[in-house]
Amino acid sequence: MVNVPSEELKTEIKILIIKTLGISDIVPSDVDDEKPLFGGGNKLTLDSVDALEIIMALQRNYSVRIADQNLARNIVRSINSIAEFISSEQHKSNG
Amino acid sequence: MIIEKFKHKMAAHCESGTITSLINHAGLRISEPLVFGISSGLFFGYFHKMKSFPFPTFIVRNKPGQMRVNITKRLGVKFNEYSFHNIDDGTRKLDELLQKNIPTAAQVDFFYLDYVPSWERVHINVHFMVILGKEDSNYIISDSYFPELIKLKSTSLENSRFAGGNMSPKGFIFNVSYIPTTIDYEDAIIKGIKKVCFNMLHIPMPFLGVKGIRMFAKKIVEWPDLARDTEHLSHEIMKINILLEDQGTGGAGFRFIYATFLQEAADILGKPELKYLSVELMKIGDGWRELSLFAAKAGKNRDLGPGKLKELSGLIYDRADAEEKFFTKLGNAVKRS
Repeated sequence: MVNVPSEELKTEIKILIIKTLGISDIVPSDVDDEKPLFGGGNKLTLDSVDALEIIMALQRNYSVRIADQNLARNIVRSINSIAEFISSEQHKSNG
Repeated sequence: MIIEKFKHKMAAHCESGTITSLINHAGLRISEPLVFGISSGLFFGYFHKMKSFPFPTFIVRNKPGQMRVNITKRLGVKFNEYSFHNIDDGTRKLDELLQKNIPTAAQVDFFYLDYVPSWERVHINVHFMVILGKEDSNYIISDSYFPELIKLKSTSLENSRFAGGNMSPKGFIFNVSYIPTTIDYEDAIIKGIKKVCFNMLHIPMPFLGVKGIRMFAKKIVEWPDLARDTEHLSHEIMKINILLEDQGTGGAGFRFIYATFLQEAADILGKPELKYLSVELMKIGDGWRELSLFAAKAGKNRDLGPGKLKELSGLIYDRADAEEKFFTKLGNAVKRS
Protein backbone atom coordinates (compact mmCIF):
# COMPACT_ATOMS: atom_id res chain seq x y z
CA MET A 1 0.00 0.00 0.00
CA VAL A 2 1.36 3.42 -0.94
CA ASN A 3 1.56 5.97 1.84
CA VAL A 4 0.31 9.37 0.81
CA PRO A 5 1.83 12.01 3.06
CA SER A 6 -0.50 14.67 4.40
CA GLU A 7 -0.28 18.37 3.53
CA GLU A 8 0.29 19.04 7.25
CA LEU A 9 3.36 16.84 7.23
CA LYS A 10 4.76 18.62 4.17
CA THR A 11 4.26 22.02 5.80
CA GLU A 12 5.82 20.75 9.02
CA ILE A 13 8.88 19.58 7.03
CA LYS A 14 9.18 22.93 5.26
CA ILE A 15 9.07 24.74 8.61
CA LEU A 16 11.68 22.37 10.01
CA ILE A 17 14.01 23.00 7.05
CA ILE A 18 13.58 26.77 7.16
CA LYS A 19 14.18 26.79 10.93
CA THR A 20 17.15 24.42 10.78
CA LEU A 21 18.91 26.43 8.09
CA GLY A 22 18.00 29.76 9.68
CA ILE A 23 16.39 31.09 6.49
CA SER A 24 14.52 34.34 7.04
CA ASP A 25 13.32 35.35 3.57
CA ILE A 26 11.31 32.23 2.64
CA VAL A 27 7.99 31.02 4.07
CA PRO A 28 6.62 27.47 3.71
CA SER A 29 4.16 28.45 0.95
CA ASP A 30 7.10 29.66 -1.21
CA VAL A 31 8.54 26.16 -1.37
CA ASP A 32 7.35 23.88 -4.16
CA ASP A 33 6.59 20.29 -3.07
CA GLU A 34 7.84 18.53 -6.20
CA LYS A 35 10.62 20.73 -7.63
CA PRO A 36 14.14 19.59 -6.70
CA LEU A 37 15.75 21.18 -3.66
CA PHE A 38 19.18 20.92 -5.32
CA GLY A 39 20.55 22.51 -8.46
CA GLY A 40 18.04 25.39 -8.62
CA GLY A 41 14.42 25.40 -9.79
CA ASN A 42 12.90 25.68 -6.34
CA LYS A 43 12.80 28.86 -4.29
CA LEU A 44 14.53 26.88 -1.56
CA THR A 45 17.86 25.76 -3.02
CA LEU A 46 20.18 23.62 -0.95
CA ASP A 47 23.78 22.46 -1.05
CA SER A 48 25.30 19.26 0.34
CA VAL A 49 26.08 20.82 3.72
CA ASP A 50 22.45 21.91 4.06
CA ALA A 51 21.41 18.38 3.11
CA LEU A 52 23.44 16.86 5.93
CA GLU A 53 21.99 19.38 8.39
CA ILE A 54 18.46 18.53 7.23
CA ILE A 55 19.11 14.80 7.50
CA MET A 56 20.24 15.26 11.09
CA ALA A 57 17.22 17.45 11.87
CA LEU A 58 14.86 14.85 10.35
CA GLN A 59 16.53 12.12 12.42
CA ARG A 60 16.13 14.12 15.61
CA ASN A 61 12.62 15.34 14.93
CA TYR A 62 11.03 12.13 13.62
CA SER A 63 13.24 9.50 15.34
CA VAL A 64 14.22 7.98 12.00
CA ARG A 65 17.67 6.94 10.82
CA ILE A 66 19.01 7.87 7.41
CA ALA A 67 22.39 6.19 7.50
CA ASP A 68 23.27 5.72 3.89
CA GLN A 69 24.19 8.80 1.87
CA ASN A 70 22.87 7.34 -1.41
CA LEU A 71 19.51 6.81 0.23
CA ALA A 72 19.77 10.25 1.85
CA ARG A 73 20.36 11.87 -1.54
CA ASN A 74 17.12 10.36 -2.85
CA ILE A 75 15.17 11.27 0.27
CA VAL A 76 16.11 14.96 0.35
CA ARG A 77 15.51 15.38 -3.39
CA SER A 78 12.22 17.26 -2.83
CA ILE A 79 9.66 18.05 -0.14
CA ASN A 80 7.46 15.24 -1.50
CA SER A 81 10.26 12.67 -1.31
CA ILE A 82 11.09 13.68 2.28
CA ALA A 83 7.43 13.54 3.26
CA GLU A 84 6.97 10.12 1.61
CA PHE A 85 9.96 8.74 3.52
CA ILE A 86 8.83 10.13 6.89
CA SER A 87 5.28 8.99 6.30
CA SER A 88 6.36 5.46 5.40
CA GLU A 89 8.69 5.26 8.43
CA GLN A 90 5.85 6.43 10.69
CA HIS A 91 3.54 3.87 9.10
CA LYS A 92 6.16 1.13 9.75
CA SER A 93 6.57 2.04 13.40
CA ASN A 94 2.79 2.28 13.91
CA GLY A 95 2.03 -0.88 12.00
CA MET B 1 22.36 -7.79 -25.33
CA ILE B 2 21.85 -7.59 -21.58
CA ILE B 3 22.00 -10.11 -18.74
CA GLU B 4 18.32 -10.02 -17.77
CA LYS B 5 18.52 -12.18 -14.64
CA PHE B 6 20.83 -9.77 -12.81
CA LYS B 7 19.07 -7.90 -10.00
CA HIS B 8 20.19 -4.30 -9.74
CA LYS B 9 20.22 -2.96 -6.20
CA MET B 10 21.41 0.25 -4.60
CA ALA B 11 24.11 -0.18 -1.99
CA ALA B 12 25.74 1.82 0.77
CA HIS B 13 29.21 1.41 -0.69
CA CYS B 14 30.32 0.73 -4.26
CA GLU B 15 32.88 -2.01 -3.57
CA SER B 16 30.90 -4.04 -1.01
CA GLY B 17 27.72 -3.41 -3.07
CA THR B 18 29.35 -4.66 -6.27
CA ILE B 19 30.78 -7.77 -4.62
CA THR B 20 27.41 -8.49 -2.98
CA SER B 21 25.52 -8.15 -6.28
CA LEU B 22 27.91 -10.49 -8.09
CA ILE B 23 27.80 -13.09 -5.31
CA ASN B 24 23.99 -12.90 -5.14
CA HIS B 25 23.78 -13.35 -8.90
CA ALA B 26 26.01 -16.41 -8.61
CA GLY B 27 23.45 -17.93 -6.23
CA LEU B 28 24.67 -17.12 -2.72
CA ARG B 29 22.25 -14.95 -0.73
CA ILE B 30 24.22 -12.57 1.44
CA SER B 31 23.64 -8.96 2.50
CA GLU B 32 25.96 -6.04 1.84
CA PRO B 33 26.61 -5.38 5.57
CA LEU B 34 27.65 -9.04 6.00
CA VAL B 35 30.05 -8.76 3.07
CA PHE B 36 31.42 -5.52 4.54
CA GLY B 37 31.83 -6.98 8.04
CA ILE B 38 33.24 -10.36 7.04
CA SER B 39 35.77 -8.60 4.82
CA SER B 40 36.83 -6.32 7.74
CA GLY B 41 35.95 -3.22 5.73
CA LEU B 42 36.04 -0.78 8.64
CA PHE B 43 39.28 1.03 9.36
CA PHE B 44 40.91 4.37 10.07
CA GLY B 45 44.16 5.79 8.83
CA TYR B 46 45.52 9.35 8.93
CA PHE B 47 48.18 10.44 6.45
CA HIS B 48 49.82 13.69 7.40
CA LYS B 49 52.64 13.63 4.89
CA MET B 50 52.66 11.25 1.96
CA LYS B 51 54.03 11.50 -1.53
CA SER B 52 50.74 10.54 -3.16
CA PHE B 53 48.63 13.03 -1.17
CA PRO B 54 49.35 16.76 -1.62
CA PHE B 55 47.58 17.57 1.68
CA PRO B 56 46.88 15.53 4.85
CA THR B 57 43.99 13.14 4.45
CA PHE B 58 42.42 10.11 6.09
CA ILE B 59 40.73 6.85 5.15
CA VAL B 60 37.85 5.14 6.90
CA ARG B 61 37.94 1.69 5.25
CA ASN B 62 40.44 -0.97 4.30
CA LYS B 63 42.33 -0.57 1.05
CA PRO B 64 40.45 -0.96 -2.25
CA GLY B 65 40.43 -4.59 -3.41
CA GLN B 66 41.05 -5.96 0.09
CA MET B 67 37.36 -6.76 0.60
CA ARG B 68 37.48 -9.19 -2.33
CA VAL B 69 40.64 -10.81 -0.97
CA ASN B 70 39.11 -11.21 2.50
CA ILE B 71 35.86 -12.61 1.11
CA THR B 72 37.84 -15.27 -0.74
CA LYS B 73 39.85 -16.05 2.39
CA ARG B 74 36.87 -16.25 4.75
CA LEU B 75 33.92 -17.42 2.64
CA GLY B 76 35.76 -19.41 -0.02
CA VAL B 77 34.12 -17.43 -2.86
CA LYS B 78 36.59 -17.10 -5.75
CA PHE B 79 36.90 -14.46 -8.43
CA ASN B 80 38.39 -14.29 -11.93
CA GLU B 81 40.45 -11.10 -12.18
CA TYR B 82 41.87 -9.42 -15.28
CA SER B 83 44.09 -6.33 -15.76
CA PHE B 84 45.25 -4.90 -19.08
CA HIS B 85 47.97 -2.69 -20.52
CA ASN B 86 46.13 -2.32 -23.78
CA ILE B 87 42.67 -0.72 -24.12
CA ASP B 88 41.63 -2.94 -27.08
CA ASP B 89 42.51 -6.10 -25.15
CA GLY B 90 40.54 -4.83 -22.15
CA THR B 91 37.48 -4.03 -24.27
CA ARG B 92 37.66 -7.33 -26.15
CA LYS B 93 37.80 -9.37 -22.94
CA LEU B 94 34.90 -7.47 -21.37
CA ASP B 95 32.74 -7.95 -24.49
CA GLU B 96 33.63 -11.64 -24.59
CA LEU B 97 32.51 -12.10 -20.95
CA LEU B 98 29.26 -10.23 -21.59
CA GLN B 99 28.62 -12.39 -24.66
CA LYS B 100 28.85 -15.38 -22.31
CA ASN B 101 26.25 -13.74 -20.00
CA ILE B 102 28.76 -13.21 -17.20
CA PRO B 103 28.09 -10.01 -15.21
CA THR B 104 31.48 -8.40 -14.74
CA ALA B 105 32.59 -5.75 -12.27
CA ALA B 106 34.98 -2.99 -13.25
CA GLN B 107 37.19 -0.59 -11.36
CA VAL B 108 36.79 2.88 -12.85
CA ASP B 109 37.56 6.56 -12.45
CA PHE B 110 34.30 8.17 -11.27
CA PHE B 111 35.08 11.35 -13.22
CA TYR B 112 34.36 9.84 -16.67
CA LEU B 113 30.94 8.42 -15.80
CA ASP B 114 28.80 10.76 -17.87
CA TYR B 115 25.58 9.70 -16.13
CA VAL B 116 26.83 11.37 -12.93
CA PRO B 117 25.87 15.08 -12.69
CA SER B 118 28.90 17.18 -13.65
CA TRP B 119 29.07 18.92 -10.26
CA GLU B 120 29.46 15.56 -8.51
CA ARG B 121 32.19 14.17 -10.75
CA VAL B 122 35.62 13.91 -9.17
CA HIS B 123 38.68 11.85 -10.04
CA ILE B 124 38.44 8.76 -7.85
CA ASN B 125 40.11 5.76 -9.45
CA VAL B 126 38.55 3.22 -7.13
CA HIS B 127 34.87 3.31 -7.99
CA PHE B 128 33.34 -0.12 -8.68
CA MET B 129 30.30 -1.09 -10.76
CA VAL B 130 28.87 -4.08 -12.62
CA ILE B 131 28.61 -4.18 -16.40
CA LEU B 132 25.64 -6.17 -17.66
CA GLY B 133 25.57 -5.81 -21.39
CA LYS B 134 26.15 -3.79 -24.51
CA GLU B 135 23.64 -2.13 -26.83
CA ASP B 136 25.13 -0.42 -29.90
CA SER B 137 27.84 1.86 -28.56
CA ASN B 138 26.55 1.86 -24.97
CA TYR B 139 27.25 -0.44 -22.07
CA ILE B 140 24.49 -1.26 -19.57
CA ILE B 141 25.71 -0.50 -16.08
CA SER B 142 24.53 -1.47 -12.62
CA ASP B 143 26.03 1.28 -10.46
CA SER B 144 24.98 0.77 -6.85
CA TYR B 145 24.85 4.54 -6.24
CA PHE B 146 21.94 4.88 -8.66
CA PRO B 147 18.37 3.56 -8.40
CA GLU B 148 18.11 2.22 -11.99
CA LEU B 149 20.30 0.55 -14.60
CA ILE B 150 22.21 3.13 -16.62
CA LYS B 151 23.67 3.39 -20.12
CA LEU B 152 27.27 4.52 -20.51
CA LYS B 153 28.98 5.34 -23.81
CA SER B 154 31.70 2.84 -24.64
CA THR B 155 34.23 5.67 -25.01
CA SER B 156 33.37 6.91 -21.50
CA LEU B 157 33.75 3.41 -20.10
CA GLU B 158 37.13 3.08 -21.81
CA ASN B 159 38.27 6.43 -20.39
CA SER B 160 37.15 5.47 -16.92
CA ARG B 161 38.70 1.97 -17.03
CA PHE B 162 42.01 3.23 -18.36
CA ALA B 163 42.32 6.53 -16.48
CA GLY B 164 45.79 7.45 -15.29
CA GLY B 165 46.95 8.73 -11.92
CA ASN B 166 47.14 7.32 -8.42
CA MET B 167 45.68 3.78 -8.16
CA SER B 168 44.85 3.77 -11.87
CA PRO B 169 42.43 0.92 -12.68
CA LYS B 170 44.43 -0.53 -15.64
CA GLY B 171 41.19 -1.86 -17.08
CA PHE B 172 40.69 -4.10 -14.04
CA ILE B 173 37.59 -6.31 -14.20
CA PHE B 174 36.46 -9.27 -12.15
CA ASN B 175 33.62 -11.76 -11.81
CA VAL B 176 32.69 -14.69 -9.61
CA SER B 177 34.29 -18.00 -10.59
CA TYR B 178 33.31 -20.24 -7.67
CA ILE B 179 30.75 -20.38 -4.87
CA PRO B 180 31.41 -23.06 -2.25
CA THR B 181 28.64 -25.48 -1.40
CA THR B 182 28.99 -24.99 2.36
CA ILE B 183 30.07 -21.87 4.23
CA ASP B 184 30.98 -21.50 7.88
CA TYR B 185 29.46 -18.06 8.47
CA GLU B 186 30.19 -18.10 12.20
CA ASP B 187 33.90 -18.60 11.64
CA ALA B 188 33.98 -16.00 8.86
CA ILE B 189 32.20 -13.39 11.02
CA ILE B 190 34.44 -13.99 14.04
CA LYS B 191 37.58 -13.73 11.91
CA GLY B 192 36.26 -10.55 10.27
CA ILE B 193 35.52 -8.94 13.64
CA LYS B 194 38.85 -9.97 15.19
CA LYS B 195 40.77 -8.46 12.28
CA VAL B 196 38.90 -5.14 12.56
CA CYS B 197 39.56 -5.02 16.32
CA PHE B 198 43.25 -5.73 15.70
CA ASN B 199 43.43 -3.04 13.02
CA MET B 200 41.71 -0.46 15.18
CA LEU B 201 43.51 -1.18 18.46
CA HIS B 202 46.77 -3.02 18.01
CA ILE B 203 48.25 -2.33 14.61
CA PRO B 204 51.73 -1.02 15.46
CA MET B 205 51.66 2.21 13.44
CA PRO B 206 50.94 5.59 15.03
CA PHE B 207 48.78 6.74 12.12
CA LEU B 208 46.46 3.72 11.91
CA GLY B 209 43.40 2.68 13.91
CA VAL B 210 42.45 4.56 17.08
CA LYS B 211 46.02 5.91 17.28
CA GLY B 212 45.44 7.34 13.80
CA ILE B 213 42.25 9.09 14.95
CA ARG B 214 44.26 10.67 17.79
CA MET B 215 46.99 11.73 15.36
CA PHE B 216 44.29 13.31 13.17
CA ALA B 217 42.95 15.19 16.21
CA LYS B 218 46.43 16.39 17.16
CA LYS B 219 47.55 17.40 13.68
CA ILE B 220 44.43 19.15 12.40
CA VAL B 221 45.32 22.33 14.29
CA GLU B 222 48.50 22.44 12.13
CA TRP B 223 46.55 22.38 8.85
CA PRO B 224 46.56 26.22 8.47
CA ASP B 225 50.39 26.07 8.24
CA LEU B 226 50.13 23.61 5.34
CA ALA B 227 47.36 25.33 3.37
CA ARG B 228 48.10 27.88 0.63
CA ASP B 229 45.43 30.29 1.88
CA THR B 230 42.04 30.40 3.61
CA GLU B 231 40.25 29.17 0.47
CA HIS B 232 42.47 26.11 0.31
CA LEU B 233 42.11 25.45 4.04
CA SER B 234 38.32 25.73 3.91
CA HIS B 235 38.25 23.33 0.95
CA GLU B 236 40.34 20.78 2.86
CA ILE B 237 38.25 21.13 6.02
CA MET B 238 35.05 20.63 4.01
CA LYS B 239 36.60 17.51 2.50
CA ILE B 240 36.32 15.91 5.97
CA ASN B 241 32.57 15.86 5.39
CA ILE B 242 33.00 14.42 1.89
CA LEU B 243 35.29 11.63 3.12
CA LEU B 244 32.98 10.75 6.00
CA GLU B 245 29.60 11.09 4.33
CA ASP B 246 29.71 11.58 0.60
CA GLN B 247 31.96 8.95 -0.92
CA GLY B 248 29.78 5.89 -0.55
CA THR B 249 30.72 5.38 3.06
CA GLY B 250 27.41 3.95 4.16
CA GLY B 251 27.18 6.93 6.53
CA ALA B 252 29.48 8.30 9.22
CA GLY B 253 32.63 6.84 7.72
CA PHE B 254 31.25 3.28 7.39
CA ARG B 255 30.30 3.16 11.09
CA PHE B 256 26.57 2.79 10.28
CA ILE B 257 27.02 -0.09 7.83
CA TYR B 258 29.30 -1.86 10.32
CA ALA B 259 26.63 -1.40 13.01
CA THR B 260 24.11 -3.08 10.69
CA PHE B 261 26.60 -5.92 10.18
CA LEU B 262 26.83 -6.39 13.97
CA GLN B 263 23.03 -6.70 14.19
CA GLU B 264 23.06 -9.50 11.61
CA ALA B 265 26.12 -11.08 13.24
CA ALA B 266 24.32 -11.13 16.63
CA ASP B 267 21.58 -13.35 15.17
CA ILE B 268 23.93 -15.66 13.29
CA LEU B 269 26.30 -16.12 16.25
CA GLY B 270 23.55 -16.11 18.89
CA LYS B 271 25.36 -13.32 20.72
CA PRO B 272 22.83 -10.68 21.83
CA GLU B 273 25.65 -8.52 23.22
CA LEU B 274 26.57 -7.67 19.61
CA LYS B 275 23.14 -6.02 19.26
CA TYR B 276 23.97 -3.68 22.16
CA LEU B 277 27.33 -2.97 20.57
CA SER B 278 25.57 -2.24 17.29
CA VAL B 279 23.47 0.42 19.04
CA GLU B 280 26.63 1.83 20.64
CA LEU B 281 28.34 2.04 17.26
CA MET B 282 25.31 3.82 15.77
CA LYS B 283 25.74 6.44 18.52
CA ILE B 284 29.46 6.68 17.77
CA GLY B 285 28.48 7.15 14.10
CA ASP B 286 26.12 9.97 15.09
CA GLY B 287 29.15 11.63 16.72
CA TRP B 288 31.16 11.29 13.49
CA ARG B 289 28.23 12.82 11.62
CA GLU B 290 28.07 15.76 14.06
CA LEU B 291 31.80 16.25 13.54
CA SER B 292 31.32 16.04 9.80
CA LEU B 293 28.65 18.74 9.84
CA PHE B 294 30.77 20.90 12.16
CA ALA B 295 33.68 20.71 9.69
CA ALA B 296 31.46 21.33 6.66
CA LYS B 297 29.88 24.41 8.21
CA ALA B 298 33.20 25.80 9.45
CA GLY B 299 34.66 25.36 5.96
CA LYS B 300 31.62 26.78 4.18
CA ASN B 301 31.53 29.85 6.43
CA ARG B 302 35.35 30.24 6.28
CA ASP B 303 35.21 30.14 10.07
CA LEU B 304 38.61 28.53 10.61
CA GLY B 305 40.32 30.37 13.42
CA PRO B 306 42.48 28.51 15.98
CA GLY B 307 39.55 28.25 18.40
CA LYS B 308 37.36 26.53 15.79
CA LEU B 309 40.06 24.04 14.81
CA LYS B 310 40.75 23.30 18.46
CA GLU B 311 37.05 22.58 18.91
CA LEU B 312 37.12 20.29 15.86
CA SER B 313 40.21 18.58 17.26
CA GLY B 314 38.32 17.97 20.53
CA LEU B 315 35.46 16.32 18.63
CA ILE B 316 37.95 14.01 16.89
CA TYR B 317 39.61 13.11 20.22
CA ASP B 318 36.15 12.21 21.53
CA ARG B 319 35.67 9.80 18.60
CA ALA B 320 39.04 8.18 19.37
CA ASP B 321 38.10 7.65 23.02
CA ALA B 322 34.67 6.26 22.09
CA GLU B 323 36.11 3.89 19.46
CA GLU B 324 38.87 2.67 21.77
CA LYS B 325 36.26 1.63 24.33
CA PHE B 326 33.98 0.21 21.66
CA PHE B 327 36.55 -1.98 19.90
CA THR B 328 37.89 -3.24 23.23
CA LYS B 329 34.37 -4.41 24.13
CA LEU B 330 33.82 -5.86 20.64
CA GLY B 331 37.12 -7.76 20.84
CA ASN B 332 36.15 -9.16 24.24
CA ALA B 333 32.73 -10.21 22.92
CA VAL B 334 34.33 -12.54 20.34
CA LYS B 335 37.51 -13.40 22.27
CA ARG B 336 36.72 -16.97 23.20
CA SER B 337 34.86 -17.77 20.00
